[in-house]
Amino acid sequence: MKFRGLTKGRQAPAALALFLVIEASAVTFFLGDAISEFIEDAGAPHTVLEGLVALALVLGVVFGVWQLRVTLDRMQAQERALDTARGALAQVIEAQFAAWALTPAEHDVAVLALKGLDVAEIAEIRGAAQGTVRAQLSSIYAKAGVTGRAQFAAWFVEDLLHDGLRPKPGP
Amino acid sequence: MTQPDLPAGKGGAVAPPDPWDPLIRITHWGVALAIVANGLINKGGSVAHVWIGWGVMALFLTRLGWGIIGPAEARFSAFPPAPRAALRHIGELLRGRPREHRSHNPAGALMIYALWACLGTVIVTGLVMTGGKSPVTIAEEKAAVAAGDWSVLVQADAEDHAGTADTAERLSKEVHDVAANLMLILALIHVGGVAVESRALRRNLVRPMVTGRRNRGVDPRA
Repeated sequence: MKFRGLTKGRQAPAALALFLVIEASAVTFFLGDAISEFIEDAGAPHTVLEGLVALALVLGVVFGVWQLRVTLDRMQAQERALDTARGALAQVIEAQFAAWALTPAEHDVAVLALKGLDVAEIAEIRGAAQGTVRAQLSSIYAKAGVTGRAQFAAWFVEDLLHDGLRPKPGP
Repeated sequence: MTQPDLPAGKGGAVAPPDPWDPLIRITHWGVALAIVANGLINKGGSVAHVWIGWGVMALFLTRLGWGIIGPAEARFSAFPPAPRAALRHIGELLRGRPREHRSHNPAGALMIYALWACLGTVIVTGLVMTGGKSPVTIAEEKAAVAAGDWSVLVQADAEDHAGTADTAERLSKEVHDVAANLMLILALIHVGGVAVESRALRRNLVRPMVTGRRNRGVDPRA
């Protein structure tokens, strides 16, 4: 479905987690090797270098884990905000439909039209003739006092866009 | 803590995450795979066994770190070991009305700590048995012996005659075997527990550990 776009970011943390696990495994192996070499001859220039590399790797993993946590928290917050926005928008739409006194059939057609489905698709979903859907749409537009689909959709988006259209303060 | 009974099959704000976060999922299945591989398929002290052992140690440490700084449901504080709560949960389960929990349920949490205790024991005793040598070192030594350089064996022999290392390693081997077998049995009970809980909640508890919800955000009417 085209609304997938909003939840597309799902794969990013999974990839980050996989990378982290691989990194953690590499660190464990490297650290094990470095420690056993350190026990054999501590103080050799070689072991000093290995110690530094090990430290860098460990810090990398810790930072990565923290980054993953932050990403997950942010995603959760976004999802919650999105759910709230969805719920709020749905409430606004329902209230307005009620105010326009749409019939139950018109209500369903209007929701589908708002979702961006065309006449043929709406007719197929509702198992109705395209002529019927067209008549229902005309009735909806008449009740809403709009000229067509674009204005009908804009009716609900307008308020949300208000802030975004303010001219940016110039330098 | 009192919370209202939720109707079965209906997850609310207190239900476990769906899906679990990716780090939990990867470490969970990684550890499960390693246990099957090392416990059932290649049991002996082969180099592969040691490689997998070190790999599972990395997964285990990662998960433990995640239990401290991970998201709320992954942290230890979300599923403290609480034997009495676990018993209560099992009681509810037997009556067919288990309560929902934000993270693992108390019985599941107890199982996790039991499995982790076994896993930690197996890892530590495994390290003692191999003298803490990394799989890379072991592979190199084996290659050296195969090439005719037996100095490694002589060194090991000398350590054996010292006595102390010998008893520690033999004791470790016993504990290693017992803990590994106990872990396999616990894993079986864990699988059974998930099956029973899934039935009682009328909800597939395995799927959130694999992947997320399906068809999320799509209106069923469309």
